[in-house]
Amino acid sequence: MDRPIAYDKLAREERFVRMRSRDVADLRVAQGLSTFPDLTTPDSIRDRIHGIMVGELQAMEGAGRSVYDFPDAPWEFTMDMARQVWDESRHVEIYLALIDHLGGYVGEFPETTILWRCACAEDAAARVAGVNRGLEGLACDVFNQLIHVARKLGDPVIERAVDFVLADEITHVRMGSRWLNELTRDDPERRRRAVEFQDSIDERFNLGGVRREADADSEVGIAITRETRRLAGFTDEEIDRLIKSTQRSPVY
Amino acid sequence: MTHPLAGEFSVEASARTIRYYRYAEERMMRIVGGWIALTPELPAKLVFGRHVWDCAQHTDLLGRRLPELRSPAQQSEPPNERFVRFMDRLESPAERDQTPQRLLGVYRVLKPHLIAAYELHLRTASPIYEPPTCRILERLVAEERRHVAAGLAVWRHLGAHSAEWVSEVGDALVAAGGITGDGRIPAVCEVETSGVDPSRDLVAMDSSFDPDRVDPELRARVEAHARALVGGDRSALLVDVDGSVQDTVIAEYGRLPSAAETSELVGCARLGKYRVVKVRLTGRDWQGVAQQRWQPVEGGWRLAMAEVVAIDRKR
Repeated sequence: MDRPIAYDKLAREERFVRMRSRDVADLRVAQGLSTFPDLTTPDSIRDRIHGIMVGELQAMEGAGRSVYDFPDAPWEFTMDMARQVWDESRHVEIYLALIDHLGGYVGEFPETTILWRCACAEDAAARVAGVNRGLEGLACDVFNQLIHVARKLGDPVIERAVDFVLADEITHVRMGSRWLNELTRDDPERRRRAVEFQDSIDERFNLGGVRREADADSEVGIAITRETRRLAGFTDEEIDRLIKSTQRSPVY
Repeated sequence: MTHPLAGEFSVEASARTIRYYRYAEERMMRIVGGWIALTPELPAKLVFGRHVWDCAQHTDLLGRRLPELRSPAQQSEPPNERFVRFMDRLESPAERDQTPQRLLGVYRVLKPHLIAAYELHLRTASPIYEPPTCRILERLVAEERRHVAAGLAVWRHLGAHSAEWVSEVGDALVAAGGITGDGRIPAVCEVETSGVDPSRDLVAMDSSFDPDRVDPELRARVEAHARALVGGDRSALLVDVDGSVQDTVIAEYGRLPSAAETSELVGCARLGKYRVVKVRLTGRDWQGVAQQRWQPVEGGWRLAMAEVVAIDRKR
């Protein structure tokens, strides 16, 4: 097996429709839609849930690759990545059930592979910075907001299920913080590159201003919530830097 | 009669055997983790995802036992180079259509062999001074048995046969002398799984695409378009294609290796009012997938883009 594998080796059943994220966003904008499903209609909630389901799939696949790609990493790093594979496999199961709950089906919305591409970073420190801190941090924001929307809609199934997933994601961010520090100890240049990679992912997922600092109850596309991020181990300085980056990101 | 304190294993031999077990569990965990991204079928992908963590814990438990036997913690050791080659062979099916081989290598060959090894160890270990090892092995046997039940259930669900792969991998294991390197453990073993409930490891087993989900009018257009493609009827093919992309669409279909003989609607995604449809095309010695974007227009649907996203030569 190659180590790492090429991006396009990511395998899917035929019912999944894969598209470039830029094409999806362009085609949405061409129809007068926001670049990202906004949680204001049942369709957009189903679209968002489906997007999260494929994100969880890619997170499971990425963590699985980390187990394989870094045999010389510390054993506890491998244990954390293996645990994450299991967590993500349960998250996929949860979101498959939520898609059913909402009357949707697997493959109902296109899959983009930005997340998977981030999970293909060749350096273990960059991978945990990008995936565990950048993307799982994003997941904390998205899930926190989804829980609030579900509460507003009076849907305890989504509220309870996503709350448990959020608890896991917070743990994954903490794992990322730990391994970013341990893998780059005594190597400031490696750390700088890893943090830069995480920043580039944060910038990419600002989605042209869709992500902003806001209360989870607000109507912002993705609300950055300080409280959840602090719980996950982000420092105030890091949160401030992320918020600043959302204000200077004109394109997705 | 043997004295109850005259056990089968010395401390050194016990530690060495545990390093062998750890080698197998660790490599299996890494291989299965790496395969997840390469495996298209959801039930197989998710069963691998479930078992990676169990195998990591098995590896960890064995590795933690080692210092108690005067050996460095968390070290793996293959019994010999031939066992390394067996694991290399087991790892080798990395193509998207090789899921049956992946499942059989792990769940029909390696895990049953490990269960047999652990059970033999449990039968021969001293009940007086080896309970710390035995407790670990008892847990491993129970979990590996559940894995075998789940993995083979997924394999049966896929409906594929790869008997020759089992014998090929099994032969490599025989050549290695098994996990102990001395041929004491049969290479390909049967595992009793009655009474084992693998249901928590089985996800999305009945999940598949239902073409009835597609708007009937769109489905009729997609199927007519596919029939025109299969029949080589260019004018019928272009009936639904937007004028601005006709050359592009024809050029794209021109990438197919030869005439398509059959077609099947296999996916449909919503993108606002647009629909992105997938059609599987099969030729004499190939299979491909065309992804088409259809847009609603007055009185029906129009094909706005088509792309051949996969072409596989049949093996």
